[in-house]
Amino acid sequence: MSLVSRLRGLRPRPPAQRGAWDVETIRRGRLSLVLAIVLGLAGLPLILLYSMLVLSSFADRMLSGPDIFEARYSLDNWRLLFEGRLAPASGQTYTTRDILMIIANTFIVALGVTVVVVFVSVLAGYAFSRMRFWGRTRLMEFLILLHAFPGVALIIAVYAVYVWSLRFVPRDWFVPYTVLYTVLARAALEIPMSIWLMKGFFDKIPWEVEWSALVDGASRFTVWRKIMLPLVRPGIAALAIFAFLAGWEDLIYVHVFLYPHVKTLATYIEEVLGTGTETAYLPVVAAAGTLYLIPTIVFFVATQRLLLQALSGGVKA
Amino acid sequence: MRPRLGPAGFFLIPALALILVFYVAPLILSVYISFTPLKNWNLDRYLGETSLDNYRALYSLMRFDPDFQKVLKTTVVFTTVTLAVNVLGGLGLALALYFMDERLSLPYRVLWLLPRMTPVAVYSLLWYYFFLGSPEGTLNSILMRLGVIDEPVQWGTDPRLLPEMAWAILVIVNGFVGVSFGMIVFYSALHNIPREQVIAARVDGASTLQLMRYVLIPQIRWHIVYVTVWQLLSLLTTFAHIFLLVEWGVVDRYWGQNLALYVFLKAFSGGESYQGLAAAAATILVVIGVVLGFIALRVMRFREMMVEPKGELG
Repeated sequence: MSLVSRLRGLRPRPPAQRGAWDVETIRRGRLSLVLAIVLGLAGLPLILLYSMLVLSSFADRMLSGPDIFEARYSLDNWRLLFEGRLAPASGQTYTTRDILMIIANTFIVALGVTVVVVFVSVLAGYAFSRMRFWGRTRLMEFLILLHAFPGVALIIAVYAVYVWSLRFVPRDWFVPYTVLYTVLARAALEIPMSIWLMKGFFDKIPWEVEWSALVDGASRFTVWRKIMLPLVRPGIAALAIFAFLAGWEDLIYVHVFLYPHVKTLATYIEEVLGTGTETAYLPVVAAAGTLYLIPTIVFFVATQRLLLQALSGGVKA
Repeated sequence: MRPRLGPAGFFLIPALALILVFYVAPLILSVYISFTPLKNWNLDRYLGETSLDNYRALYSLMRFDPDFQKVLKTTVVFTTVTLAVNVLGGLGLALALYFMDERLSLPYRVLWLLPRMTPVAVYSLLWYYFFLGSPEGTLNSILMRLGVIDEPVQWGTDPRLLPEMAWAILVIVNGFVGVSFGMIVFYSALHNIPREQVIAARVDGASTLQLMRYVLIPQIRWHIVYVTVWQLLSLLTTFAHIFLLVEWGVVDRYWGQNLALYVFLKAFSGGESYQGLAAAAATILVVIGVVLGFIALRVMRFREMMVEPKGELG
């Protein structure tokens, strides 16, 4: 390690010194530039797609590239979106309340998934990292296998159980029950990977911290709650963000279990476009899409910093 | 003495309960449903009887139904081509980012991760509009301005362009999401290679290409295996993005459908739905996935590489 750091220490050189190139980063400047241009060109479709979406949400028509200077821009689409003036099917319009409900529903599902995933994985991750029990290694491998398991094979049976269980649910409890079932089913998909992630975070914490508390007579649960939880806070934050995004962006589960009783942003966009573009005013859909996209981008930027912090020694005893 | 579940039980019970209810039980139930004639979710009426009828029906569909044959062909082409794009593209991206200046590479990493972070509905919306068959569609609009085409093209549904164009759309849409997985894994793996090795190769006068060929790629072989197998299994069963493309008519109904989506639509379509048949197709999909996964691991000599310590487990 010391060799590396010493060599690294030699690295900064005055760029004017031509010919005295770095052994490790031979002609790095020019290579960097070429690669940047190539990657930029390859990513051009992405840049185009996203900028068209965001720009169109302010424009009087869907923009397709060449016409960005001809369109007129205003906040009208966003106003229309929040007034719910968009026909999901012929002769039908949303109301303001519907749109706010749709946004609220999306949040409820996402937060529900977050709570379940964090609670379950922080408990299980601790056990896998710190406790010895029969079948520990095998269970860990089993979790990886589960994560690779095709969801489409499960969802039929999960839905069959749901249909069967509905007969025991009173009519008034129908909506809360479906939301709860969706949240649990969706959260379960995230559990295997989340347990692995949390185990990794617990592994980084030195044993001594825990031993000293255990020697003093604290129970495993007290140690977990009072000592370990504060230490793995960066891990919990990362986990929470991943879980929130999974719940926030989910389409299949909300489509199968909740639609049409409880609508989320995903099924809303699906519904509007599914009825045909002739009836839908696309710039409003672009506004809805942008609105749906914003939290994921914000959270993503937040995760980048958080993960870096967590990886570069944010977890310290 | 072997410690039993004991105190760990308290911490594990919530996780085990969820896994039991939403993985293990459905798996068993799914296989059972595949032997019943369950349709339209009429559990009381159909769950009692069992037979091999669904598997027979699938076999005859495979032999005689042109639409199902289209779905199977699409599954094979889509899975193999997208897999190649994802692994090679991810490797290319990671290597390019590795050779780039750290600060310069950050915006690129963010850009390429965007599709993965975008909700499925929005991401499909982007491509829906890009391939829209009317003159306003981005691709049509640009090509018409450039004078390449005179009138708008129905990219995914025009019979003259089928099936290749529909396949191309599926690969493009899923490829942009898929490459980022390889990119992240390979990028962090490349950064874990001891710098002495890179420096030594440079001192010996290795060019960038030689460095990649003889130092970098051999070092991350394990990760290439991991990404390939993982992506193979994911691609076999992915269908969320394709679902919206088919539903919105961006691609042809059958040339744009893979087996996983076929299963989903058979079980959950609005009118007549056939869960027994869908479960049988799903079971076959699982078997294919398991077999292909094992073959892939064997071919790429996963066992030999397992010796390499990958963190503690015991």
